[in-house]
Amino acid sequence: MATMSTQPQTSATRFLATCAVTAALFILACKAIIDAPQEVTMGFVQKIFYFHVPCAWLLMLSTLVCAGGSVSYLFGGSERGDRVATCASELGVLFGLCVLVSGPLWAKAAWGVYWQWEARLTSSLLLWLMLVAYVLARRYGGSSARQLAAALALFAAIDIPLVYFSVRFFRSIHPNNTVVATLVPGMRGAFWLSLLAFTFLWTVLFSARLSAENAHSRLIDLEMLIDQAEEKKS
Amino acid sequence: MTASFWRYTLLVAWKDLRIEGKSREVLYTMGFSASLVILIFSFALANATDPAQGPITAAGVLWAATLFTGTVALARVLDRERENESIRSLLLSPAPRAAIYAGKLIATALLMILVECVLAVLVGVLFATGVFDHVLWLALVLALGTLGFASAGVVFSAALLRSRSREALLGALLFPIVIPVLLAASRATACLFDPLAPDLEPVAFWTRFLLATDVIYISLGLWVFEPVVTGE
Amino acid sequence: MKMVAMAYGFIWLAVFVYVALVSRRLARLNGEMDEARRRIDQLKS
Repeated sequence: MATMSTQPQTSATRFLATCAVTAALFILACKAIIDAPQEVTMGFVQKIFYFHVPCAWLLMLSTLVCAGGSVSYLFGGSERGDRVATCASELGVLFGLCVLVSGPLWAKAAWGVYWQWEARLTSSLLLWLMLVAYVLARRYGGSSARQLAAALALFAAIDIPLVYFSVRFFRSIHPNNTVVATLVPGMRGAFWLSLLAFTFLWTVLFSARLSAENAHSRLIDLEMLIDQAEEKKS
Repeated sequence: MTASFWRYTLLVAWKDLRIEGKSREVLYTMGFSASLVILIFSFALANATDPAQGPITAAGVLWAATLFTGTVALARVLDRERENESIRSLLLSPAPRAAIYAGKLIATALLMILVECVLAVLVGVLFATGVFDHVLWLALVLALGTLGFASAGVVFSAALLRSRSREALLGALLFPIVIPVLLAASRATACLFDPLAPDLEPVAFWTRFLLATDVIYISLGLWVFEPVVTGE
Repeated sequence: MKMVAMAYGFIWLAVFVYVALVSRRLARLNGEMDEARRRIDQLKS
């Protein structure tokens, strides 16, 4: 009994602690970004990199988690997997939007155009569109919305290696994957701090969204209990 | 995949093709709609002053028309199972669910390819491109591109069988997934339509890309079709 | 400088809008759950 009554308090404390750590990491990351040296050719605009790349990483992470949840729902009947997939898809849409806005702003300054139909940009846009389609399928897919969206998530997961390896296989104006390894120390520290901060942010947002989804599931159970009780009474 | 799997696959495909052979509904509606789409594009994109763009435009228009109207074929091949609830009989039959998927895929792809043959000629005439220069390569590209489209399309069309927003959602959900197929197929087709292309190396590259995409999509389709179509 | 500010600004705005939407949804769900529990208690009594 004591354990049960302290469980919500423990998870709330854990959540608040994660929020505090996230905030601290962002403060450190922002300081590191400000102190980081400017890139030689691109100058100040290169600092978009410290937010743009973590957002891209979170887009791919969200898609992977969504696909994982979808597999456990489709083949294991796991309701929790379905809830995890829903939450991850929304975060994928959010961070995908951040990538698709920050990237062109950087591109305009670096390449002179907002957009180019090259492999990485195109495959990233496709991945984002598939996650948007997932959210639409959940909302409007009718009685088989969950299965439909789960299948969609699996097809979207195929795009992840395409996004990541596209710069290696197709000649591209987009910087390739080896950029991070070749960063100078001042930039490297800022990048990894920013990546860690964003990953914690993702965890915080995911936990919050999942608790909303769990609450919705509990509400449906309660409403079923009410219907049964009302039927018995009548 | 055993002999009985292929037997059921061919039975399902043959059933759909026989029904279509009697009504010719998909052939006529998809064919006519796609032809209209091609005409609309040729009016909208008229650039007679730039012949160099002809092959790229022709290839893009062909595949865009195919994809837009391919949802007609997808919807009809699966809709037939919704009428009189024959999908239930199909699922209760001894046919493996994967065989049902493969049969629907073959039937849909064959119907689409038949229509595309006509569309390719229409595009060749309207855009003055060399449709018959590399017929075998073109047939291969058409087949692989259509298979890629249909392999994802059958899964989503089946999943939307019981949905009221079927027509609105099918395109919205399917198109992002089949864009890589569209990209590869139109690039390969553009090279085939171009009389000035130095060699067919780009065609070989994009054909390999299409083949890899088809293998992945068909494998995924075989895997997810059962839980998608039987889940409630 | 302007591009950097716009990029960072958009990302922060998007995250805060999402947090606001999730908080609102959670608050609404908690309210509906309290209401549902009250109705169950009423029906039991």
